[in-house]
Amino acid sequence: MFNRELVKGSTSLLILQLLDDRDMYGYELVKEMDRRSKSHFQVKEGTLYPALHKLEKQGYISYYWQDREKGPARKYYKITVDGQEILKERTSEWHRYVQVMNNLIGKKET
Amino acid sequence: MTDQEKYLTELSRALSFHSEKDGILTEYEGHLKDMAEEENEVSYEWMIERLGHPEAIANLWREEITVTKPKLQWLFVCCNIALFIGGSLLTVAYHLFSWGWLEWTWNTLTSIPMAIIWAYVAFWCLLGYEIGKTFGPSGQPLLGKTFIIGMVPNLILMLLTVFHIIPHRWFAPLINQEFIWVCIIGTILLYPFTWFGFRFGRRMSV
Repeated sequence: MFNRELVKGSTSLLILQLLDDRDMYGYELVKEMDRRSKSHFQVKEGTLYPALHKLEKQGYISYYWQDREKGPARKYYKITVDGQEILKERTSEWHRYVQVMNNLIGKKET
Repeated sequence: MTDQEKYLTELSRALSFHSEKDGILTEYEGHLKDMAEEENEVSYEWMIERLGHPEAIANLWREEITVTKPKLQWLFVCCNIALFIGGSLLTVAYHLFSWGWLEWTWNTLTSIPMAIIWAYVAFWCLLGYEIGKTFGPSGQPLLGKTFIIGMVPNLILMLLTVFHIIPHRWFAPLINQEFIWVCIIGTILLYPFTWFGFRFGRRMSV
């Protein structure tokens, strides 16, 4: 498990990254996050939906409902062009940050 | 009542303030159903562990709707109007009364016109930044609308001054030809500055 604030600050970026691969519904996003992080990245699942709503309000993702045979309809989320643009920007920033941090931490260790 | 129904009832009660409550509950209901399909038994405690307490979830949704587009728009429009009213009252009071502190305030402010202009530009940059940070790209129409409404008092004051409807001596020694030109150019550049704030805020929105 990671620091709570660090997880909170990265959730939106991760959601956009996952939705950039394919449209997903809430539960699917949680499972995919869990699978890709090998269970290291865990969020309270109930907090995911306000985060999705915020991204939708900002115009980074959109949604559509899809009926299923059993149970309530599923709300699928889809990344928008603006979402892809900000994802690209923030991902590159994140890589630069990690690189600098690695350099700094690496320097300290040697 | 099953544990799932109990959880959803509590969540529904906690979300009673939200206008989109039904849609939100449908999503949580689907989530619990998927969870139940995957894991044999899903107890109330397990739902709290995995999803969080209904009250805690409702608080997140409450935070989510605290800042709305109309609220943010009117906050800035009202701040702008307050600046103009404050400035007008100060001018009128300065000419009507001979209070020491009033004269000191007037003299101090009129001696730093460029600082006032830059502070005003910063106010508009902040407007753009807040809209960009809160609403991302979907805040762009709001930015345009707020800017147009916000410009009304600026343009009225500018026209009244340029056409001498307001005597220039009221604002002496602040008003001179150079200052008027700086104000006109500053007003033209106000939107690019606001846009810059918006772009920066947008970057910080995720």
